Amino acid sequence: MNKTIIIFLLSLTCFFGCAGNSPVKNNGTLVFTLGGDISVLNPILSSDTASSAVEGVVFSGLTKVNEYLDIIPDIAKSWTISKDGRIYTFYLRNDVYWHDGAKLTAYDAKFTFDSILDPKVNSVRRGDYIIDGTAIKFETRGPYIFRAVMPKPFAPFLSRVGMGILPKHLLEGKDINTSEFNSKPVGSGPFIFREWVSADRVVVEQNPRYYGGAPKLEKIVFRIIPDENSRFIALEAGQTDVCDIPAKDYSRAKAMKGVNIFEYESLLYVYLGLNQKKEIFSDKRVRKALAYATDKGQLIQLIFRGLASPAYSPMSPVGWTYDDNVEKYGFNVQNAKRLLDEAGWREGENGIREKDGKKLEFTILVNQGNKEREKAAVILQWQYKKIGVKVNVRVMEWSSLLRILNAKSGEKDFDAVIIGWSLGIDPDSYSIWHSSQYPLGLNFIAYSNKEVDRLLEEGRTTIDKTERKKIYGNIQKIIAEEQPYIFLWYPRSIVAVADRVGGLSKPGPAGLFVDIEKVYIKGNY
Amino acid sequence: MKMPRYILKRLISVVPLLIGISLISFFVMHLAPGDPTALFVDPSVAPQELARIRANWGLDRPVFVQYFFWLKNAVRGDFGTAYILNRPVMQIIAERIPATLLLMGTSLFFILLIAVPLGVMSAYKKGGIFDNIVSVLSFAGMSIPSFWLALMLMLMFSVQFNLLPATGMGEGFADIARHLVLPVLTMVLIGFAGLTRYVRSGTIEVLRQNYIRAARAKGLPERTVLFKHALRNSLLPLITILGMTIPDLFAGAFIIETIFAWPGMGRLGVGAIFSRNYPLIMGVVFISSFLIIIGNLTADLLYSVADPRIRAGRKD
Repeated sequence: MNKTIIIFLLSLTCFFGCAGNSPVKNNGTLVFTLGGDISVLNPILSSDTASSAVEGVVFSGLTKVNEYLDIIPDIAKSWTISKDGRIYTFYLRNDVYWHDGAKLTAYDAKFTFDSILDPKVNSVRRGDYIIDGTAIKFETRGPYIFRAVMPKPFAPFLSRVGMGILPKHLLEGKDINTSEFNSKPVGSGPFIFREWVSADRVVVEQNPRYYGGAPKLEKIVFRIIPDENSRFIALEAGQTDVCDIPAKDYSRAKAMKGVNIFEYESLLYVYLGLNQKKEIFSDKRVRKALAYATDKGQLIQLIFRGLASPAYSPMSPVGWTYDDNVEKYGFNVQNAKRLLDEAGWREGENGIREKDGKKLEFTILVNQGNKEREKAAVILQWQYKKIGVKVNVRVMEWSSLLRILNAKSGEKDFDAVIIGWSLGIDPDSYSIWHSSQYPLGLNFIAYSNKEVDRLLEEGRTTIDKTERKKIYGNIQKIIAEEQPYIFLWYPRSIVAVADRVGGLSKPGPAGLFVDIEKVYIKGNY
Repeated sequence: MKMPRYILKRLISVVPLLIGISLISFFVMHLAPGDPTALFVDPSVAPQELARIRANWGLDRPVFVQYFFWLKNAVRGDFGTAYILNRPVMQIIAERIPATLLLMGTSLFFILLIAVPLGVMSAYKKGGIFDNIVSVLSFAGMSIPSFWLALMLMLMFSVQFNLLPATGMGEGFADIARHLVLPVLTMVLIGFAGLTRYVRSGTIEVLRQNYIRAARAKGLPERTVLFKHALRNSLLPLITILGMTIPDLFAGAFIIETIFAWPGMGRLGVGAIFSRNYPLIMGVVFISSFLIIIGNLTADLLYSVADPRIRAGRKD
């Protein structure tokens, strides 16, 4: 019997012994990690970041965004906007080829946008091209001129033409929702799709015919690693070149050899939204008091070890319309207490304030699984207790939370919620703040201000950039002063990149790989 | 020769069982709050667009109508198209099955390879040092959280010694084998304990029987007594357990798959539930229930093959 065990042990050692390590990395191959599985490789259908990352290198759009978030030419070498702001004319390059060799023309562009508008196509982007109920008209003027005709001037349009263009000759007459194309995409971007192993990896290869010149990398492998800790270990083990770093691992990543750490702000902010329909929050003094009582520095220290920035307004500091000159309600417990006194909330039993027999008490909803927001709710509970406000925290599953926020009629059944917005490159925030977006829409806290409504409408119909900057500056000032949200923080992206990778763009909200065709592996070129 | 009829009867009973299971799952699934378009929420997506997509998916119809259509198609073998992924449910599931079978099958193989000899040996030396060591190890295996063990193994073998890849599946035989080591090791360390305990108690039971005493009295060598006479009987309960393990082979292991980024069914199923991907949930539930039923049936049949007493009993 002993022999059996020995043989077994021997076979085990062989199993391990045979497994020497030969790193997967080849020269000229960049390995990315993706946190989520890829859903569908079609830019008009997908809405997850993992799919977008792959689509970003396989497809080209008419325009693209540079590291400063400016909209710059891609397939369209230039464009003009008519005086009345209604007609956008794009002049396309004539040297762009699909990965199957066919030539890309304005007809492909028209086909792409018309497909998005097709109600049968399950594209969530459809609403982007419909203005007040009327669809934008897309036209061609010969093979290299593409026009978009708006029913009325609409400034955010330019930020929406960067959508990856689909090949008409491969998709026309087919059901775009279920076409095989969606798992074997053919684009016109710098990399050609090669292979997708479900839930494991996607491989793309250099496109030698790319109009901007062949990219320097031979190959990009997108590896799907859902667990945050495993992604970091994969980086440590040299299995990947790029990895996002959670704040808790920041010091470990900093100490690592062979990687560079980049930090940059994103177009994201997290806030405590206060339901304006609730009596306590309809009083501006209470909202202001909560703003004064929020120690954002402490929140950021405790949750992110300092690796985030305090937020004071509904725009991201990296956006071009950001205005720092707003009311900030710096942390001040005395001011908070004074405002509550003025509002008639007097200290009662157990130090909790009361008015007309009612306690100053509310419930914060947070979604389960988001540790940062769960911690924030508990810290705020403790911070607000100091000014005599009782906070309850309710952790809910994401869909249940959305069901409450999206309730179609009547008063939405919540007091306050910690949630975040990811902003687009255009400052238009009509869907978040306009009073028409309640109850059906994203203005679920029922914010309503006539001046803000007017400015929002003006902002999206004004084409001139300086004018728009002024308009959005005013919107920020009004909202920051009124505090319908207690703005909490701007998260910071922390990304580790192996130092063998060169050609990165300036760190910013657009990431480090804005010009993917310029990225290379050092020592190989 | 009632066997074929018995099998046929059992197989026929599968149909109403599956219909019942699908009916209950379908309604329970729709009772849970939320809907599949929740994933799209983003300030730039208009609510009307979500309503349109929901209608395209048929979610605006009453639940029983939806179930009727699902069942009608399922009977013809069409399990529909998964939301968001936009591919046929069966194709998505089929893509995951090889990786799942590989991970779960290899793990089960090694678990058996370890658990059977360990269990028999500790039963034989019951109360001795060997038995005690095995007991301690078994309980340790049962108690260690799998995600922690997985991360520790990764840190040790991938980062510290740089011997094995930490995550993913790789490609080609040798590469896949290397990628398989750590997840299988984790599964084995966590999983061998339970089976070892079963084999141990089964063997102890058998060793007390008279026929073992008789075998020893005949002067047979201990090895023959243990491995020829005792083992076969002590493994009987194992068949039932293995039968119940068959569905696991396909269902995968969510935590292990997530940590090792193994592209298996566990991640698919849990992901489908979180994203309320109804057609995909139904596909996964349907396949799992089918396998559980088949697994139980196979176990019953194997049992009667392995144990002549049961076969004899049926003839009466």
